[in-house]
Amino acid sequence: MKSLTTSRRAFLASTAAIGAYSLLPGLPKFAYADGNVLKLRLDSDNEILDPGYMTGATEIEAQKQCLPFLAEYARNGETFGWQPTYFVKKLEQRDPTHIDFELEEGLVWSNGYGPVKASDVKFSYERMKESDWSGYFTALDHVEVTGDRTGTIVLNTAFAPFIMITLCHGPGAIVCAQAVKDVGGKFTNKFPAVCGPYTYEQTPGQRATFKANPEWNGPKPAFERVEANVITEVKAAELAFEAGELDCTKIGSDTLARYQKEMPAGSEITVGGELQYMWMGMNTEHPKLKDQKVRRAIQHAIDVDSILAGAYSGTTRKSHGIVCPGLIGQRDATKYYSYDPAKARALLEEAGVSGLQLTLRTLNQQERVLAAQIIQANLAAIGITVKVMPLDSGPFWEMGQESKGDTWQDLELWLMRFGTTPDPYEASQWFVSSQVGIWNWERWTSEEYDALYQQGIVETDDAKRREIYLKMQDIMEETGAYVWINHEPETFVHRSSINVNSSPSGELNYRRFTRT
Amino acid sequence: MIIYLVKRLGLALAVVLAVILVLFSLLHLIPGDPATIALGPRATPEAVARYAAKMHLDEPVWMQFLIYVKNAAMGDLGVDVFSDRSVTTIIGERIGFTLALVSTGLGWAILLGIPIGCLAAVKPNTAMDRIVGILSVGTIAVPSFVVSIWSLLIFAVVLRWLPAIGAGEPGDLGDQISHLVLPAFAVGLSWVGYVSRMVRASMLEVMGENYIRSAHAFGLEPRRVVYGYALRVAVLPTITLIGMGFGGLISSAVFAEIIFARPGIGKLIFDAVMARNFPIVQGAVLVATSLYISIVLFSDLLIAWFDPRVRESL
Repeated sequence: MKSLTTSRRAFLASTAAIGAYSLLPGLPKFAYADGNVLKLRLDSDNEILDPGYMTGATEIEAQKQCLPFLAEYARNGETFGWQPTYFVKKLEQRDPTHIDFELEEGLVWSNGYGPVKASDVKFSYERMKESDWSGYFTALDHVEVTGDRTGTIVLNTAFAPFIMITLCHGPGAIVCAQAVKDVGGKFTNKFPAVCGPYTYEQTPGQRATFKANPEWNGPKPAFERVEANVITEVKAAELAFEAGELDCTKIGSDTLARYQKEMPAGSEITVGGELQYMWMGMNTEHPKLKDQKVRRAIQHAIDVDSILAGAYSGTTRKSHGIVCPGLIGQRDATKYYSYDPAKARALLEEAGVSGLQLTLRTLNQQERVLAAQIIQANLAAIGITVKVMPLDSGPFWEMGQESKGDTWQDLELWLMRFGTTPDPYEASQWFVSSQVGIWNWERWTSEEYDALYQQGIVETDDAKRREIYLKMQDIMEETGAYVWINHEPETFVHRSSINVNSSPSGELNYRRFTRT
Repeated sequence: MIIYLVKRLGLALAVVLAVILVLFSLLHLIPGDPATIALGPRATPEAVARYAAKMHLDEPVWMQFLIYVKNAAMGDLGVDVFSDRSVTTIIGERIGFTLALVSTGLGWAILLGIPIGCLAAVKPNTAMDRIVGILSVGTIAVPSFVVSIWSLLIFAVVLRWLPAIGAGEPGDLGDQISHLVLPAFAVGLSWVGYVSRMVRASMLEVMGENYIRSAHAFGLEPRRVVYGYALRVAVLPTITLIGMGFGGLISSAVFAEIIFARPGIGKLIFDAVMARNFPIVQGAVLVATSLYISIVLFSDLLIAWFDPRVRESL
């Protein structure tokens, strides 16, 4: 039997050969997506495409490609507004409680369900009142059908944000009445009928595929086919983009910071929106924090800029309130506090407080824990000892709710982030008096705030609404219960050869992608 | 053999029941209301109540357990929280991908590990033996997720030789194989080391046996003695290792499936945990555990079939 031998020479020769082989051209390469196929990422499987029972997010992306909507978001420079879609000839708010619409001619449902009618709009919106998303349709009384393609949406009370937060958003999707009835009144991961530029197919756990709809006679989308791959982890998606297997994906703040220093070749960044607001809250009823001077001292002690640099790599916008960038009523500065440790110490002394020990609760996520640690250091500098308590989402989201136990009584400080829609009404609703013990964990009440909240709902004049929401944020900040931190952006990296279209809340609208 | 088989089956069943019990306990030990956790913080009270009723969360815990065991025995693992689809169907859609990944990963590890283990045993204390030893220990020491990330970076991102994500086009075998290469390499690499070390140790023991010496003395060809006689006996402990390895690889596959965005049981469990989709977590963990127990049981029965002494030991 011939024995194997190894020698230094043989070893060097083999490694040199392997090295040379790896540099050879002509080995199989996985090219970028070709011109007619757009490759994107879904962060999870689409579970329920039915607008009434969806979980939200990626399902809304699918609905936007395959179902009619009456209105859609429109960006006007730095602000968000709405515009009628190409499914309608007319969409007009006749008065505060009546919205008239006329559907475009020639819109046809797939699977032989015939033309899209005003009765489909009536069916779609009225069924939403009994759905899991009924909150978006509280203001809807009924839909009046006045013709095959014409009708009026009748509200039971004036509700200024109805078009922005209901008609433009996922719950505003129109389904085919007959098709939905034929599948038993609800559907899950298959549209019973579509009307839009794309049809939909799903391979569970792998991808959703959107193919050009042969029955669509509206504006043709730039891409014949869209492959949305299910990639749960954002890091895996970022690597897939760098490997040339995706044309566009959402990225995290650390990667954004890396790309800002060195962008991958032929790539660009687009920010879809910043509709998340994060703050540090304080329990105004807690014995340690009852004195407003103590709360104000804490406000002055926290260096938000260092949180943005240390925890978010400088990739997020500083917050000054609950109204996010691009919306009516966004503040450009805080009114009652700024970073001033000396003033913070003076206020504590004035309040006669020393050796204060507090607990700061946060979701157990990298950025938030980092932010909490920076706050801990900031407060230590003025003599307040902070214990950081990272929590899993289960106990975290229940801790301020009276219906979930007694933790709300022990709450002192916490880091919180809410998401919102492109109207200030949505963000302001969680802080009214009736929300104390539910979502108003800071537990302050203000009759003036409550009254302004009601005014904001019915006021249709933008200038007046702006004043209302600015005043509401002043009231919130004056309580001393808030340290505004940031608005995290929905950031996408994409090939320079495409223009990305995204809603303010970060859902991609594939049919409005274009080629550069 | 029959008695041994019955005993082992009984033991396997007891383990499965224990797993169900532990899973069930964990669900109720998680702080917070299961319905609220599953549906998210903004779920309406009506939706929470509907979910609780659907999942029998309004029943006593012992009753919930009995209902689950009874349904599981009938092949009904419940329904997905969000899509209302059968958990059994969802697992059925994914398990093939995990089995393909684990089989390929273990397959290439065995094909490479056995020969190099033999090689090291045939030439003990030579340079070859040492190189094999260093490589084996090296591959064992590197976690599969590290191999996954580095192989993805090198072969998919930098060189672009192989795809980075997914399982390939359904129906396109070539595409599916190319998508399997990197994940299978990542999950199998450490098992090359395990298998080769085990084979080497067994071979060294067997090569010292009298009947091997006799075979050499009769003038049989060395290759035939090593591979025809010694390896057949030496490979028996490796069968047990491979059986356990299969189970180990199911858990390693979680990382590979997440990093390479492949569908599979591991990724399904991970996503379900993130989404607090308890029926999926319970069902998938139960199936994965049952699969592991079945494979270990099969390898034990195989050993018992080959070696009567094992049958007497239980």
